[in-house]
Amino acid sequence: MDAPTAARLAAGIGMGLATIGPGIGIGLLTGHTAEAIARQPEASGDIRTAFIIGLALAEALALYAFVIAIILLFVVK
Amino acid sequence: MLAEAGTNKIVEALSELNVQTIVHIPKVGPFDFSISNAVIYMWASAVIVFLFFFIVARRLKKEPDGLQIVAEILLNFATGHLTGQLTEKGKKYYYLILTIFSYILVTNLVGLIPKPDALLPYTPTANINVTFGMAIVIFFITQYQGFHRHGVRGYLKSWLTPPGVPKLMRAPLNAIFFVVHFMGEFFKPLSLSVRLFGNTIAGHVIILVMLGLLLQYASAIVIIPAGLFVVIMLAFEVFVAFIQAYIFSLLSVVYIETAINSSH
Repeated sequence: MDAPTAARLAAGIGMGLATIGPGIGIGLLTGHTAEAIARQPEASGDIRTAFIIGLALAEALALYAFVIAIILLFVVK
Repeated sequence: MLAEAGTNKIVEALSELNVQTIVHIPKVGPFDFSISNAVIYMWASAVIVFLFFFIVARRLKKEPDGLQIVAEILLNFATGHLTGQLTEKGKKYYYLILTIFSYILVTNLVGLIPKPDALLPYTPTANINVTFGMAIVIFFITQYQGFHRHGVRGYLKSWLTPPGVPKLMRAPLNAIFFVVHFMGEFFKPLSLSVRLFGNTIAGHVIILVMLGLLLQYASAIVIIPAGLFVVIMLAFEVFVAFIQAYIFSLLSVVYIETAINSSH
């Protein structure tokens, strides 16, 4: 396998693997947020702020992989 | 730079992410000062933000109307909800955070508007240089606040182990804590910029790939789902523009606030 082919393969597989972790994380986060809001609707503002911060931190992990995938696709020639 | 236009329509659609040079200015050393569409849209969004607040500030009324209502919502958002964590000490950063929030919001939305061929569409925040430029400002403010408020010794001490650690373990743990915190300070702006850049460019890449699919395989089986997907994705992008502007400013507030109250 030459370098560009390997890079393309790595970009695809890596991106797919990288979405697993944040997927589980965001799922757990959303579930618990819904539970928390249902339990205490008057605190929904604070809960939502915490939810959005957690969401950003979790999805950033997939985006790092996305940036690496772009580098692999377009820089390795 | 990201993709060359070729016979493949998908690759051709992706070439929209390239920077288009409008006014060519010769290079000075390694620096390219050419005016590209990215620069023009950055200026345009800065001018939009400036004019919006300028016009509102010139005609403030007791009973707010139209524009003033929008501005007051933004200001309340920035000074109340967003910077609610910034204590009295960080009050002077309200307006920086408000500016960053409005600027990111406008730049994100500017990239979603269709534009003529002479000035191809480009989202300035889909460029790592722009987002890193904003993140580095936050980085310097954070470090300045940390060193200014607690002194060099006090601030560096806040990176070490918290009180209550047994004496025997303090020395090896201090070394680990210091390295982790030191690296963490540099990863903060990096993650801040990559998050905004990645979110913006990922949405655009998905839309462009779907549009490329439409052009490449012009049959009903592809056009209906892909077309629907593009419409839904564009609507989602508007939502993402708000969320990302909010997250960038919220995390900036969290970082500055951590530096201000960093003593153990």
